[in-house]
Amino acid sequence: MENLSLDNIKGFLTKMNGVAAANKDYLIDLDSRMGDGDLGLTMAAVFSAMDEFASTYSEDDIGGMLMKGGMAMAKAAPSTMGTLMATGFMRGGKAVKGSTSLGISDVAAFWTAFVEGIIDRGKAKAGEKTIIDALLPAAEAWQEGASDGADMVSAGVLAAKAAAEGLEKTMDMVAQHGRAAYYQEKSRELQDPGATIGSILISSFSEYLSEIDG
Amino acid sequence: MKKFLNKPENFVNEMIEGIIAAHPNKLKYVNDDLRCLVNAKGKEGKVGLATGGGSGHLPLFLGYVGDGMLDGCSVGGVFQSPSADQMLEVTKEIDKGAGVLYIYGNYGGDIMNFDMAAEMADMEDIKVLQVVAGEDVASSKKGEEHKRRGVAGIFFVFKIAGACADDMASLEDVKRVADKVCANVRTMGVALSPCIVPEVGKPSFTIAEGQMEIGMGIHGEPGIEKGPLKPADEVVETMLNAILEDLPYKKGDEVAVLMNGLGATPKEELYVMYRKVSLMLENKGISVFHVYAGEYATSMEMAGASISLLKLDDELKNYLAKPANSPFFEQVQL
Repeated sequence: MENLSLDNIKGFLTKMNGVAAANKDYLIDLDSRMGDGDLGLTMAAVFSAMDEFASTYSEDDIGGMLMKGGMAMAKAAPSTMGTLMATGFMRGGKAVKGSTSLGISDVAAFWTAFVEGIIDRGKAKAGEKTIIDALLPAAEAWQEGASDGADMVSAGVLAAKAAAEGLEKTMDMVAQHGRAAYYQEKSRELQDPGATIGSILISSFSEYLSEIDG
Repeated sequence: MKKFLNKPENFVNEMIEGIIAAHPNKLKYVNDDLRCLVNAKGKEGKVGLATGGGSGHLPLFLGYVGDGMLDGCSVGGVFQSPSADQMLEVTKEIDKGAGVLYIYGNYGGDIMNFDMAAEMADMEDIKVLQVVAGEDVASSKKGEEHKRRGVAGIFFVFKIAGACADDMASLEDVKRVADKVCANVRTMGVALSPCIVPEVGKPSFTIAEGQMEIGMGIHGEPGIEKGPLKPADEVVETMLNAILEDLPYKKGDEVAVLMNGLGATPKEELYVMYRKVSLMLENKGISVFHVYAGEYATSMEMAGASISLLKLDDELKNYLAKPANSPFFEQVQL
């Protein structure tokens, strides 16, 4: 597969809506250990809003759809993680604005701008036990795939692997942000809910690429 | 907890309903959301000024929406940031073609949401600039002013930027003036008793009987000196010295003073404190252009006070002196 069409991206967003809904209780449970437990609800709300927006989007600009979908997400769930996820889509969409199809370098640019937007908005960096720890290695994997001229599906598999490894590493980090930061050392062995949703997002994208390939 | 409440979860909305019922010609809300407040009459071509922040600080923030002051305010839950979307709705309403300036306090949640709102406004082709106020001397040391919390001194930023915008200055110019106020205002607070968030129902921190905490923030953030309550003159001396040391002050400088009650401290005590402020400033040869005393930025029913000093130049003095008229603040030409 060389390029993703607008309909492919819409298909992925529909899949992601289902994935977020299916993981709602899991994320609530994970978040309740250190946060306020609303992450599962937030993610279900934002991806539902994105899917709803995308399914009625009638223009042909993939970037524009993702940007405006990001704004719809921000309206749907005004919590920290909702705002961060919305920012990711707004910035990622901006990076591929005007594209009617996405090649591997566009996908790499999307994920890179996505995570950079979250870094910028959340004033956090790698190693602080956040969603960034899953997304940044994945964006780097996409960049490598693009510069190696890799196949989209195999690059996606490597990105999913990088995100899962990044998530794994958060289990040896101390939280620096949000309510979890109050727990300091106690936060160390717990899996970060933000990085979990980051890894789920990246792996769902990879799965979707495999599903539509052949 | 003894508070006038119906249901704690309705506290903020019922407060806003009361305020709008009391001032129907001054305030209205947009987007069917009580928490998106704007001045009932807009002024074409004027730079829009918006603020926002958690509830629990009246008159801050929404009380300064009015003529010669702010054009809009998004209102959060008690001590919680409003959402970026509420900020955006306010922005859209108050943009009269000259752009919008956000002025808010230096708190993580507010920064994230206002940044987000500015980005969304940009996508709707509204030009937005931002000024983040942080003047609490106790909250971070000199050299790290960017980490300081915004407290009562933001009133001066609202007042002066408001008058500047009302003069039909450009967005860049209003921002320049607002930045100048931020650079020249310093605040120091002292708390005597804690406050209670209605939905929590009990104090989230304690200050023992007979104790005070100098430098405590308006949400109970830890201060710099905890100890037995001292005589008012000594407390003022500690506070004012910290303020004066933080900016270069010289003989002949002119200031405006804000003596702010945190919620449960009577004006009588504020004037007992001001007596000492006045003596100290006179001693240093600093003249006082105007004194504001009362509740300007509170922390629910917290007992305590803050002192803010704004160093004036001709430009700031001119704008400070202009009339203003909002539900919580009225001033004739000084």
